[in-house]
Amino acid sequence: MVVKISFLLTPPLLFLAIWFYAPFFIVGLYSFDMININRQIVFTPSLVHYSRVLSWTGAMGIFLRSLYFAGVTVLLCLLIGYPVAYYISFKIKKYKDLFIILFIIPFWVSFLLRTYAMMSILDERSFLNTLLTSLGLIDSPIKIMYTDAAVILVMVYDYLVMMVLPLYANLEKLDKTLLEAASTLGAGPVRTFLKVTLPLSMPGILAGFLLVFIPTVGEFVIPELVGGPNNYMVGNLIYEFFMGARHWWIGSALSMLFIAFILSLVIAYVRKIGERGLAF
Amino acid sequence: MKGTTPFLKIFTILVFLFLYSPIIVMVVFSFNESKSIGVFTNFSFRWYEKVINNPEVWKALFNSFWVGAVVTIVSLVLGLMMAMAVTRYSFSGKSILESLILIPVIIPEIAEALSLLIMYIFLNIPLGPVTVIIGHIAFDVSFVTIVMRARMAGYDKSIEEAARTLGANEFQTFFRITLPTLYPAILAAGLLAFTLSFDDLIKTLFTTGPGFKTLPLIVWSSAARGGVSPELNSLSSFALSISFLFAVFRLRAERRLER
Repeated sequence: MVVKISFLLTPPLLFLAIWFYAPFFIVGLYSFDMININRQIVFTPSLVHYSRVLSWTGAMGIFLRSLYFAGVTVLLCLLIGYPVAYYISFKIKKYKDLFIILFIIPFWVSFLLRTYAMMSILDERSFLNTLLTSLGLIDSPIKIMYTDAAVILVMVYDYLVMMVLPLYANLEKLDKTLLEAASTLGAGPVRTFLKVTLPLSMPGILAGFLLVFIPTVGEFVIPELVGGPNNYMVGNLIYEFFMGARHWWIGSALSMLFIAFILSLVIAYVRKIGERGLAF
Repeated sequence: MKGTTPFLKIFTILVFLFLYSPIIVMVVFSFNESKSIGVFTNFSFRWYEKVINNPEVWKALFNSFWVGAVVTIVSLVLGLMMAMAVTRYSFSGKSILESLILIPVIIPEIAEALSLLIMYIFLNIPLGPVTVIIGHIAFDVSFVTIVMRARMAGYDKSIEEAARTLGANEFQTFFRITLPTLYPAILAAGLLAFTLSFDDLIKTLFTTGPGFKTLPLIVWSSAARGGVSPELNSLSSFALSISFLFAVFRLRAERRLER
């Protein structure tokens, strides 16, 4: 049996070890100043790059901005996604599956194309702006491209599904007799929602939070396409250090800190709730 | 909440409108005769002709397909091995192994892609199609394993035992019983693996060599360079129809799985 297990496990694990984990090991070496400029490994680890990153207010500002962007995106996804998930789960009797598929269809379009499609309506010269101007609803085209708002709006558009699906799955499993019990016992609709439905949908909300927060906080493509230099996020900063400034040591320290942050979030979630809901 | 139902209904309709309108506008304006992206003048295939006559697009499309095919096959083999190991056997360190499988799904792709690039440069590995394929497999294996693991949880081992009792050897049992039984799950996981590779931008962007482009890379470079244009609208609509087709296949495969 040991032979069988190792026969099955060795090829995939070896592959992951070499092409997924080893790169992070090398980045780790760079971050601790253990690779010099001639690409030789030196055994004199140092925290100098970490201290530079952590004491540099510019980097911290960009990190905080990423947290803020991702946080606002999660909140908007929740505010937009909860009513939709609630409506489909509680109010639609027939064709529930159809509604969910209709909701998912736009997300079949690849992430990059969805982002581009958003650009095609956010653009100053876009159909939306032309329409609103000719209807007299706005005086001049909305200049939203290359702002914080554009980055957040496109992130909401791209990641809404990651909030709605876990929420919907959660609401579907919710025992609806509890709601009847609450109203029989005299709770009004608002109270039933606040005291029964909302607390019971917390696992879905938390799963949605994580599934939206993680990819958005590390977003690179969206700020690059619809944001300006003033809307950069951590992903763009890491990119700038590796590709622009070619300072791999600082880039590595930034990467390691960022990955540690993401992993600690996930570990906290798994400890509290378990692995369920994460692997979609 | 009875009184809130109309509000919820209108809200849901508005959200659906929000989801569909950018894609619809993009597709509609890809058929626009004029260069404008704001005023629709006349129906025309003008921009499609331009896209179709661009050899770079065909080359990129071809690259996307063959990279996707190789990535899918390798990811399926590796993912199937891993999923079989974790669903059929219990061994020490299994939970650590399962977290090691999950991590590639969680880490932001930009950090993963840049780290891989650093290693390629560190080891003097020349960049090109092979480095792109390796990069795609490195995260596809995890997705395939997770999908397969979920599908294999309820797998009935007794038919395999029956085959063995009837005299089939291990290989015969695997190829005649296990593989055909798992076929729907393999199909669903394979389509997912292909889609992930076909749509991937970030890994490809950082691990490709000079001259080797996939379809998302062309969309990316023209969107980053020139913003919205009618030609890019038609290229994107063209790419969209391909992703769409594969999504429909995947849905059908999953439906078959549920039955």
